[in-house]
Amino acid sequence: MFSVARTAFQKNSLKLFLRCQSTNALTKTQLPFTYTASGPSLIKYTTEHEWIAAHEDGTAFIGITKYAADALGDVTYVELPEAGSDIAEGDTISSIESVKSASEIYQPIAGSLTEANQNLENSPQLINEDPLGAGWIAKIKIKDAKDLENPELLSLEQYEKSLAEDNH
Amino acid sequence: MSSFICKRFSSTSSQGLKKTALFDLHIELGATMVPFAGYSMPLLYKGQTHVESHKWTRTNAGVFDVSHMLQSSLQGEGSLKFLERITPTDFSLIKDHNASLSVFLNENGGIVDDTMITKVGADDFYIVNNAGCADRVKSFIPEQLSKSGYECEWKMIPDRSLLALQGPMSSKILQNILAPSQTLNSLSFGQRRLFKLFNGVEIQVARSGYTGEDGFEISMLDKDAVDFAKLILDNELTKPIGLAARDSLRLEAGLCLYGNELTESITPVEAALNWIISRSRRNLTDPNAIKFNGYEKIIDQLKNKSSKELRAAFKYTGRGPAARKGAKVYLPDKQTLIGTVTSGSASPSLNNINIGQVYVKNGYHKAGTELVVEIRGKFYPITIEKSPLVPTHYYRTS
Repeated sequence: MFSVARTAFQKNSLKLFLRCQSTNALTKTQLPFTYTASGPSLIKYTTEHEWIAAHEDGTAFIGITKYAADALGDVTYVELPEAGSDIAEGDTISSIESVKSASEIYQPIAGSLTEANQNLENSPQLINEDPLGAGWIAKIKIKDAKDLENPELLSLEQYEKSLAEDNH
Repeated sequence: MSSFICKRFSSTSSQGLKKTALFDLHIELGATMVPFAGYSMPLLYKGQTHVESHKWTRTNAGVFDVSHMLQSSLQGEGSLKFLERITPTDFSLIKDHNASLSVFLNENGGIVDDTMITKVGADDFYIVNNAGCADRVKSFIPEQLSKSGYECEWKMIPDRSLLALQGPMSSKILQNILAPSQTLNSLSFGQRRLFKLFNGVEIQVARSGYTGEDGFEISMLDKDAVDFAKLILDNELTKPIGLAARDSLRLEAGLCLYGNELTESITPVEAALNWIISRSRRNLTDPNAIKFNGYEKIIDQLKNKSSKELRAAFKYTGRGPAARKGAKVYLPDKQTLIGTVTSGSASPSLNNINIGQVYVKNGYHKAGTELVVEIRGKFYPITIEKSPLVPTHYYRTS
C-alpha cells in the first residue's frame, strides 16, 4: 500500500510543478514587466491568445501567448504596426508569419500605438523564444483604463482554464 | 489572434477519414494528424518544429508516409499506346525499370494529374498519382480507356504502402537494412527495382522523391509497412517528417503541387514542364502516329511560344510577409497586373527569405525580371529566379 500511495503523491506533485511553471505568465526580466519598477498593475489575456500588460501610467504592452507561439511554430516574419496611430478594439495591428501560415493580431483594447518592437524586424524568432517578454509586439497608450475591466479580458488563471477546456 | 488564416491543413473533424497502415505509428511518434485528401495524415511530429523537420531532411534523412498516394498498374499489349494517348511522354524510349515524371492530359491539353510512371516491362507499367486527384483519376482512366479502345487493364494496388526516405543520408540508411547481396549503388535517379531486406522482406525501391534530395520511394505490402518504418527510423540520422515540411521542401526544389501550380486548365508548356514532352512526340508526320490529348494546342504553344502565362519561380529581394496562393504580382509601377502566385512561403534553407511560384504573362517569366507582389495592400519587390531555388542533389550513376 505504501508504494501505491507514494506513486499517487508523485503524480500530484508533478501536476503542481507544471502549474507553477505556467508558461503563459509574463517574463519578469523584460520590458513589458520592467517598464515600471513594481511591474504592471494588471495583466490580461484574450481568447484570441493575446496578452496585455498595463502599467499605472496608462502604458500597456501587447503580445501573443506561449500557447499561441507554440501553435504557430517557427515565426519567420512579423508585420509591425506603425507608431502614432489610433486603434480601436478589435483592429488588426500586426500579422505574424510562420512558414506555413499567417495570423493576424488584434488590438485587445482601444488606444494609440506609441511603439512597435523593432527587434522583431530582424529577430522574428523572439516570438517563439520569449513571447511574453522580449517578443512583445506593441506598446500602446490605453484610451480608458476602465476598458481593462471588460469581462471578456481574462486573468491568467481563466485563460489557462479556457485552454484546458479547448483541449478536451 | 485569428484562427490561422491561409492554412491549407486545417485540423478539424477526423470523422470518416481513411487511415494508412502507419496511422498508429504516427500517433505513437506524437504526430499532429490533419485531414488531407480524405486521409488522416501527419503534419508535424512531436519534438520538431516545421523548420527543424525541413532542415533535418536537407542534412540527414526524413521518412514520409505517402501511402495516401494512389498506386496502380497498367498492363496489356495496348498499354504503351494508351499512355501515348493520355501523356506527352514517349515510354517506348524508356528502359525497363526506369520511370519518368509525366502528366495525364485532358482533351484540351490540361493537366488532370502529374504522375510518376515506371516501365516494369514491355506491356507493364506502375503508376503513382496524387491522393488529391485519386477520384478524378479513377474516372479519367476508365473513360479514356473505353474511348480509345486500347487493349489494356488498369488496376489499383490497394494493399501496398508507400514510404519516402529523403535526404543525403538516405542511401546509407537503406543500404544498412538490405540483404548482404543487395546494393543501391547501381540504382540511379529515376530507376525502380525489387530489393530484399536482411530479413527476407521484399520491397520495391524507386530512387525518386519530392524534396530535391537524393532519396527513395519505397513500396511494400501493408502488412510489412510498420516493421519497415520502425527499422528505417531505428538510427540517429532518420526522423519522421510530416506534410508541413514536405511542402516547403518541394517548393525550394521547384516542384509542382497539383491544385496550386497544376490544374485541368493548365498545359505542360504553361507549367514550364516542356521536358516531359518527349522530342519524338512533337513533330508527328506519320498519319498513324498517336497524338496525345490536346496535341495541337500544346505543340502550338511549344513551337510558337504562344502561351499566355508561364510558371516561374521567384524570390523576395528583402523581408516581408510571404506571398501565399492568390497574391497578385505587378510591374514595379504597382499597377500593371502581371500574374498570380500559386505557392509561397519562407524558405528555411535560404535563411527564411520568402520564395514561391507564380504564373506570369509570357515575357515576364525570365530570370532577373523585377516585379512586386501585393500583400494586404503593401507591395514587396521580388525577382524571377531560375528554378530550383535550392540546388537539387539527385543521384545519377552516369
